[in-house]
Amino acid sequence: MGDLSLDAIYKDFPSHRVVDGISLTIPQGCFYSLLGPSGCGKTTTLRMIGGFDEPDRGTIQLGGRTLNGLRPYQRPVTTVFQNYALFPHLTAAENIAFGLERKRDPDAASKVKAALDLVQLTAKADRLPAQMSGGERQRTALARALVVEPELLLLDEPLSALDPKLRKQMRLELKELQARIGITFLFITHDQEEALSLSDQIAVMHKGRLEQIGTPQQIYLQPATRFVAGFLGPVNWVGDVGVRPEATRISREAPGPGARALEATVNSSIFLGDCLQVETRTPAGDHIIAQIAHGLGEFRRGDHVHVWWRTDDEMALPQ
Amino acid sequence: MSRLRALFLLPAWAFTLLLFLGPLLIIVVYSLETKGVYGGVVPPWTLENYARLLDPLYGVILLRSFLMAAVSTLGCIVLAFPLAYYIARSGRRKTLLLNLVMLPFWTSFLVRTYAWMFLLRDTGLINSALLAAGLITEPLPLLYNDGAVIVGLIYGYLPFAVLPLYSNLERLDKSLLEAAADLGARPWQTLLHIVLPLTAPGLRAAGVLVFIPCLGAYLTPDLLGGGKSMMIGNLVQNQFTSARDWPFGSALSLALMAIVMLLLWALLRRDGGEML
Repeated sequence: MGDLSLDAIYKDFPSHRVVDGISLTIPQGCFYSLLGPSGCGKTTTLRMIGGFDEPDRGTIQLGGRTLNGLRPYQRPVTTVFQNYALFPHLTAAENIAFGLERKRDPDAASKVKAALDLVQLTAKADRLPAQMSGGERQRTALARALVVEPELLLLDEPLSALDPKLRKQMRLELKELQARIGITFLFITHDQEEALSLSDQIAVMHKGRLEQIGTPQQIYLQPATRFVAGFLGPVNWVGDVGVRPEATRISREAPGPGARALEATVNSSIFLGDCLQVETRTPAGDHIIAQIAHGLGEFRRGDHVHVWWRTDDEMALPQ
Repeated sequence: MSRLRALFLLPAWAFTLLLFLGPLLIIVVYSLETKGVYGGVVPPWTLENYARLLDPLYGVILLRSFLMAAVSTLGCIVLAFPLAYYIARSGRRKTLLLNLVMLPFWTSFLVRTYAWMFLLRDTGLINSALLAAGLITEPLPLLYNDGAVIVGLIYGYLPFAVLPLYSNLERLDKSLLEAAADLGARPWQTLLHIVLPLTAPGLRAAGVLVFIPCLGAYLTPDLLGGGKSMMIGNLVQNQFTSARDWPFGSALSLALMAIVMLLLWALLRRDGGEML
């Protein structure tokens, strides 16, 4: 057991460089997310840690032991694949037992039972993958990867195949599970909400490089680059300064001191259920969106207003 | 609509009834008559041709045929599996490689079997090369034995094993192999526990497609076995040619057909009709 560290990892595909000098350390027991748009190199990074691809340069170490050159079956790392990759001819219990049987584990039967229990699938133990729901398949894949007691679990967008409602529920279960068993999770996702809500640490990737590493709060509130700021959520840009719509206020009177204010005209006002989204335009031509609570006034197209925010909420990110 | 469908199906039905069931019916009738002096059949009706099938002499030939066909089928599958696996994993060259597998079909089977004779005979390519290299002092007896027949059968029916295995392996999800390795399976364990079970339909199809024509083969044992290595196909052929015993030949071929159908039926029953 120990930390996972990547040191200056490079990987080229015939047409382009997919991973361009990634270095990071994942502390043991951490729920760590690699967040980025599709094609940013996050899946390739995961595949190199799992042993399915080899880096062209750089070293991968787990607890001080170098993983480079080891085959997937020699690494103390398992994976929950994006499509789950459950063996279609084996039942849930047989899928979960697969890894234990390869190791001739004498306690296989009781471990499978415990794993089924852990993911609440005991009643579905004898179902084939084709007879299971998406959520059940996901849990089977999770149990199959965890039952062999890896030092590190890789999760390749494991929630993306589920419908939105189930996705939110599984997100909670996943977080709870990781806290309970305490092994390191490396979670790959392109969904910023997923990454923010699950992770202890997030590394944001873009075009094969790391843009920023930090806690969800750091990444969201103090983004290091414009890309990170924009990828984690909508931003109002005024020159070199950005501010999130939910930190933007709107009023008919000018605000007091300590705030940065702009005059603007309301373009549209949309009811979003949990808030009101007011889109405005400044004389300089900047679009400023404010998300405000209900009851803070009504705004109609053409209204002259003041949009403002506390300077503490500003993100200074030169172009 | 249904009338139009019937109209379009008519040629196929007519073809099947006239040219497939017709000859079969003739064979059934022949098998129940008595042999003519110069071939052909004459009355009276008799069941004696079927009684003769019980002669142990023919049982031995039937058993030999089964053995030869089984060994050839096994050989075909053992050779075809890695080849099909390789083709299924070779990206853009798939089409080229598949066409190469089919290439032999462009020439007649007879010509290709004669080519094997040129390779295997005492003064053939292989023996000449070995003699010239000084590796042997006398030609090896490569032709006119069971080995030559099995080599010829494997060669002839290899494509029939490659194609169903290829189509099965091509559909095999690569992430399943990665998942197996990820969970600690070595390559041979992945082959045994994941690849083979998931390609069982292809293996069965390949087995049936090779075994049945091998069992009835007569050209290959005739040419490469040199008459010394008789299979049931040769026995049937002899009845219609040199022995001039059409009724017995008919009874033999019907018996062979019955055995094959019984085997297929048993196989299908076990797999719940999944294969076809």
